[in-house]
Amino acid sequence: MATVARGEPGVEREDDRELIESARAGDSGAAEELLLRHELTVWRACRHLLPVEEDLPAAVQETFYRALKNLTHYSGEGKFSSWLVAIAVNYCRDRLRRRRLVPFMALEARDDDDPDPIAVIPSREPDPERVAMARQAAQWVGREVRALPERQREVFTLRFFAGLELEHIAEALGVDVGTVKTHLHRAVHRVRRAVSEARP
Amino acid sequence: MITEHLTDDELDRLLAGEGLPAGRATHVGECLPCRRRRDEVVAAIAGAMGEDPDEAARARVRAAALERWGEGETRRFPWRWAAAAAVLLLAVLLPAVGPRLVERPSFDAEAVLIEVDEVLARDPLAAVASEDMVATLVGEAAESEQGGRS
Repeated sequence: MATVARGEPGVEREDDRELIESARAGDSGAAEELLLRHELTVWRACRHLLPVEEDLPAAVQETFYRALKNLTHYSGEGKFSSWLVAIAVNYCRDRLRRRRLVPFMALEARDDDDPDPIAVIPSREPDPERVAMARQAAQWVGREVRALPERQREVFTLRFFAGLELEHIAEALGVDVGTVKTHLHRAVHRVRRAVSEARP
Repeated sequence: MITEHLTDDELDRLLAGEGLPAGRATHVGECLPCRRRRDEVVAAIAGAMGEDPDEAARARVRAAALERWGEGETRRFPWRWAAAAAVLLLAVLLPAVGPRLVERPSFDAEAVLIEVDEVLARDPLAAVASEDMVATLVGEAAESEQGGRS
């Protein structure tokens, strides 16, 4: 079995089930290991599904707490990560409904908070002009994603930021894969256009 | 060989992970401008993702969630602590009380039977009933017998 970094999205291990059983019996060590394995998926999903005004750590904590509290309700049919993401999505939807911020408008603030959004883009040519263009494209993508209709934003976020496969997005959102593809195609179309417009 | 560049729709499908017909997928592999268009969007999306929180922040959130969960578990299952206390108490007391609970007066059936035989040998009726009771019972029987005849 290939070793994968702990917490990397998309990672699902066969022995999740063992940890789930132990956590259900009250084993806090097993519960923590379970959270460790899937935490980045939840962080990334919440980060892009919530407006910047929301308390991101509080959202992640609430997702973890709800998951552990309701662990006995996890049937084991779908992937654990899909089930966990479903909890996160429901929490984010609830927060947005409460704040009546769909679609939310605070777009620039998050960009300001990010230390360097372009830092993760591999570049062999540190050409300042190219870096500036890439930075602008990233900002436009962020803006465009936050302006997407709710379901398109969810699908896009779970696919590109949380790293879920299409069938697991379908599980998490409770829709079929065809619906996921439709939303994703529309979202990608808008984002790709935004990137094209960012070019000089 | 197909030399036309990807259309916008094909690029969207490629980015969405829907896959392309074999010929078009091959074209992407061989065409630098098409690969650049694809990579440009992928890089922009990666740039928009931002950075993950550091390990310390993640650990704090995990710990807080686990603490809340732990408190809830204790509230939801108070009987667990009661059961654990009962088991502990039993483990402490059992060595002291156990033997008394287990020990019973010995019962020698053979000795009892010998005693009964001796009593019956001395007085066969004494073992069944007292003299008064025998007299009463015998008397009643005699009276009823006489009454039945008359």
